[in-house]
Amino acid sequence: MQPFALNYARPAVELEAAIPYVYDAGLQLNVLHDGRVAASDFALLREVGTTTSTAGSKTHFDD
Amino acid sequence: MTVLILTCEEDVTADMVVVHLNAAGIPVVRVDPADLTGGVALSGEYVHGRFRGHLSAGGRLVSIGGLRSVWVRRPGTPAGRAAQPSAWLTEEAAQALYGMLRGSDARWMNHPDAARRARHKPWQLRLAQRCGLPVPATLITTFPRAAREFSERYPDLVVKPVSGAHPQDPPRAVPTSRVAPDTDFSAVAFGPTLFQRRISKRADIRLTVVGDRMLAARKTADADADEVDVRFAPPGAPWRPTDVPSSIAPGVRAYLKEAELAYGAFDFVEDADGTWWFLECNQSGQFGFVEVETGQPIARTIAEWLARPLPEAPPRVNGANTTAR
Repeated sequence: MQPFALNYARPAVELEAAIPYVYDAGLQLNVLHDGRVAASDFALLREVGTTTSTAGSKTHFDD
Repeated sequence: MTVLILTCEEDVTADMVVVHLNAAGIPVVRVDPADLTGGVALSGEYVHGRFRGHLSAGGRLVSIGGLRSVWVRRPGTPAGRAAQPSAWLTEEAAQALYGMLRGSDARWMNHPDAARRARHKPWQLRLAQRCGLPVPATLITTFPRAAREFSERYPDLVVKPVSGAHPQDPPRAVPTSRVAPDTDFSAVAFGPTLFQRRISKRADIRLTVVGDRMLAARKTADADADEVDVRFAPPGAPWRPTDVPSSIAPGVRAYLKEAELAYGAFDFVEDADGTWWFLECNQSGQFGFVEVETGQPIARTIAEWLARPLPEAPPRVNGANTTAR
């Protein structure tokens, strides 16, 4: 009774890298432990993959 | 006037835009509706023919009348983190928040009504056809026989979710996948299934459109790869900026105008002849990964769109800006 499309399902993608930043409500930005703004560090964003279009998000499906 | 961003705290892609708004000196308030009624509060009164509303979050207070734009990025479920969350409280919070915001004169990226409609993939396919964009032959059906017949006409098929959503119990992803010619289609009867003729692609295209500005990126693909979904393919070639063909740009503009979207992330595949085939348009599609790889100024373009001043209010009868004749 499984819908056809689910025959092609696979485990959701898990981010491999730990997220090295936390949200700062005062700045309204995520900051690294050394205080730098995470969004300005493109090398880091590429590494952690949090800006990537991926399937399987729990809350959003607009990739 | 202020830019209101509705998104979750961990949305570092939104941060890329906030950085530009801060640099331009544009006031920003960032709210996650999930934090109603914890860290986020609201109030609005309708008295003597006027509306006055306010939102507060993170120690900031903003008048709803003082909003220039609302960016709906990755908002959480309203009141989803309340002390005692419930479906009823979520509905109450959603009605209060979005109902008040709908009454503002702010510009939306994207308006919730347009966003909701734009998420329907069947609607996207039809709109793309009407706008003259090439759309691969597609079938959405619960009839196994229709699926079999379609596979006879188009032996090289892919299957993908109709909604783009993925099952969560347990969490799984359903990538666009090739369908073998001798497949048993009987399970099509158990759920609407979207089949599409596979385009033998030489590249994936992500076209990010912000207002009138188009920023296209191209990633070379292996036409014979078993993995057809670029989100699951090995890293391979990087995304690179590319031009939008003159045969495609008018259709894209028409699509966004008809869809009433200020932002859209289009997915195309490019075939061996250079034709861009429309796959979908994500009304809130990711853009950070494209900017990180290509250096295209997508975040800055979004910030500039959000920062634009409101157009002058039209003359109103008995209003202060009415010219007596």
